[in-house]
Amino acid sequence: MIRITNLVKRFGGAAVLDGIDMDIARGEIIVVIGPSGTGKSTLLRCLNFLERPDAGHLVLNDLDMDVATASARSILAVRRRTAFVFQNYALFANKTALENIAEGLLVVHRWPRHKAHARARDILERIGLADKGDAYPASLSGGQQQRVGIGRAMAARADVILFDEPTSSLDPEWVEEVLELMKQLAAERQTMLVVTHEMNFARDVADRVIFMESGRIVEQGPPSQLFSAPQDPRTRAFLRKMLAGQSDETALKAAK
Amino acid sequence: MNLLDVPYMLELVPILLRYLPLTLGMAAAGMVLALSLAAGLAVIRVLRLPVLNIATLLFISFFRGTPLLVQLFLFYYGLPQVMSVLTTINGITATVMGLTLHFSAYMAESIRAAIVGVDRSQTEAALSIGMTQGQLMRRIVLPQATRIAVPTLMNYFIDMIKATSLAFTLGVTELMGATQKEAAGSFLYFEAFIVAAVIYWAVVELLAWCQRRLEHRLNKAYRR
Amino acid sequence: MLRTFSLLPLLASTALALAGTAHADDDVLKVGMSGSYFPFTFVEKDTLQGFEVDVMRAVAQQMDTDVEFVTASFSGLFGMLESGRVDTIANQITITDERQQKYLFSAPYVYDGAQVVVKRGNEEIKGVEDLAGKTVAVNLGSNYEQLLRELPYADDIEIRTYESNIEQDTALGRVDAFVMDRISASQVIQEKPLPLALAGKPFSKLRNALPFRDTPAGRTLRDRVDSALEKLRKSGRLSDISKRWFGNDITRP
Repeated sequence: MIRITNLVKRFGGAAVLDGIDMDIARGEIIVVIGPSGTGKSTLLRCLNFLERPDAGHLVLNDLDMDVATASARSILAVRRRTAFVFQNYALFANKTALENIAEGLLVVHRWPRHKAHARARDILERIGLADKGDAYPASLSGGQQQRVGIGRAMAARADVILFDEPTSSLDPEWVEEVLELMKQLAAERQTMLVVTHEMNFARDVADRVIFMESGRIVEQGPPSQLFSAPQDPRTRAFLRKMLAGQSDETALKAAK
Repeated sequence: MNLLDVPYMLELVPILLRYLPLTLGMAAAGMVLALSLAAGLAVIRVLRLPVLNIATLLFISFFRGTPLLVQLFLFYYGLPQVMSVLTTINGITATVMGLTLHFSAYMAESIRAAIVGVDRSQTEAALSIGMTQGQLMRRIVLPQATRIAVPTLMNYFIDMIKATSLAFTLGVTELMGATQKEAAGSFLYFEAFIVAAVIYWAVVELLAWCQRRLEHRLNKAYRR
Repeated sequence: MLRTFSLLPLLASTALALAGTAHADDDVLKVGMSGSYFPFTFVEKDTLQGFEVDVMRAVAQQMDTDVEFVTASFSGLFGMLESGRVDTIANQITITDERQQKYLFSAPYVYDGAQVVVKRGNEEIKGVEDLAGKTVAVNLGSNYEQLLRELPYADDIEIRTYESNIEQDTALGRVDAFVMDRISASQVIQEKPLPLALAGKPFSKLRNALPFRDTPAGRTLRDRVDSALEKLRKSGRLSDISKRWFGNDITRP
């Protein structure tokens, strides 16, 4: 469904993405892991054109384009089929929870108001915030805000939802409710590309885990394989470091 | 001199109040036009549109860099000598034009600052769901920038109300001109200008009250 | 967003549309005055009145046209004349060489002199000869500044020009004296509650008249106004107006 070929992004000469190739199937849940500053977030941002890639090719269902020269029109088309969940939630501060979810339907997809609001209420129900529709982001907890952020991404029925470290800014108490919601989406087979440091989530939910370092994909495979028998020494080193802090015995063993 | 001539002041109040609609009308018209122009200029500045950006910078520099009175004289007395069609511009129109151009230069900069002050994540979120630049500006950035800009813009409006007193130099008898003429007739300068000052003051206080209400409403989304 | 760019032309066109009636047309004699020069032109209870108002009404009646008064602060009056917004100025405009080079003048209709006025009780200044070393106020755009500068000891006089409220500041002692025409100075002292006094005799002959633009149309209008003034003078109406306001005839030398 999605095919990325040789995606390159440079920031002032240094390649942050150095030739990424990736296929994503419909309904697949992919988790991208790796050390900070290896271009995981940039990969997501390039897929949504929040960053303009320097080279590469993108096929997204019927869309097919050279990303370096994509027209404004193509960029809008890609954005309408990919949804983004931000690390810092980035809810529209001037709009209520309901309006945040309905905004894209209303403005981008030009739905009539009653239809957009009905769908937004539907989503509020699913994210467990049916009673918070009229609340403004400032009055919501971090966990609630991020659930609205996910709700906003759900609204447009995007081909893929891109999650950029969705729990990294949250106080620990709110992390679980956000992960629960993501699991729920995964159970519904919503195509997801998730950048996260939540190793348990990766192991339990992902169909495939991708380990990135220095702008390249080092290793990928189903979590059972990647966590229990990582092939590359860099993967092993990273997992050892990540899992050292966790009390999960099996995970520790697996990394060894 | 005697103490205040209170009966004269009371007599003057209704007379001077007759000129208040003109004073407020010129300021209101100037405010609406200046706001629209300033919003356009600010967007040009924020998007750094080629050529227009330079022209805007020049415009802002000139209208901020010269006194309003000089600008009014230039429009009303100077330009008609070069372009005779401008002779048909009356004093009220010239005042409104002058206020518009002068204050839009100031407002453009505060609106620009307010736009820039809207968090970058708001822009990214809007782009990520596929909004165009125009939709992003209209639906997300400008409403949020409004909240940031309102206190400054209201101050400019208050300034503008007071600046209408310059219109008498262009032959427009507004509140200040009326006061000056009444004072010349009675020689009770102190009394006349106290009445005028109190009228201006009351109007500005009323506006300040409206401003607080407006800010309260705009802040609705930001209270925890 | 693009909509905002079209605002400038819009603005210009509204301005032009609003302006429709401003042009001085032929049927109406448009007269500029300050409205703040007692007793020539001033406002009481929202009504414009004064010697100039009466004279110009009589002139217009004689010419069989309507008259319209346009009030503006003194510093704006000549700008209005030049930019064609008024046809003449009735504000005790004194004929000077400089002004004559630029404008056409009617025959003088007021003969006056420049008068020094001081705060009551000021014994130091007894006339124009005592102004050396003093601060003296004049109205902005008036010719009294020029008169003071022509005095042999002009360098020792500190001249302050005022937009308005010249009498007030003298009464408050902010300046030592002001110079104004004798007629209105006497009026001010007589009628208004300000502690002022005339100092000495008038020190310069002044002839006041109506200025017009130096164009063929201006000349025609000047000639029509002149003949109207002449008729008013002959019929005694000009003197009557003067006597009503001043008790004596200031319209003759």
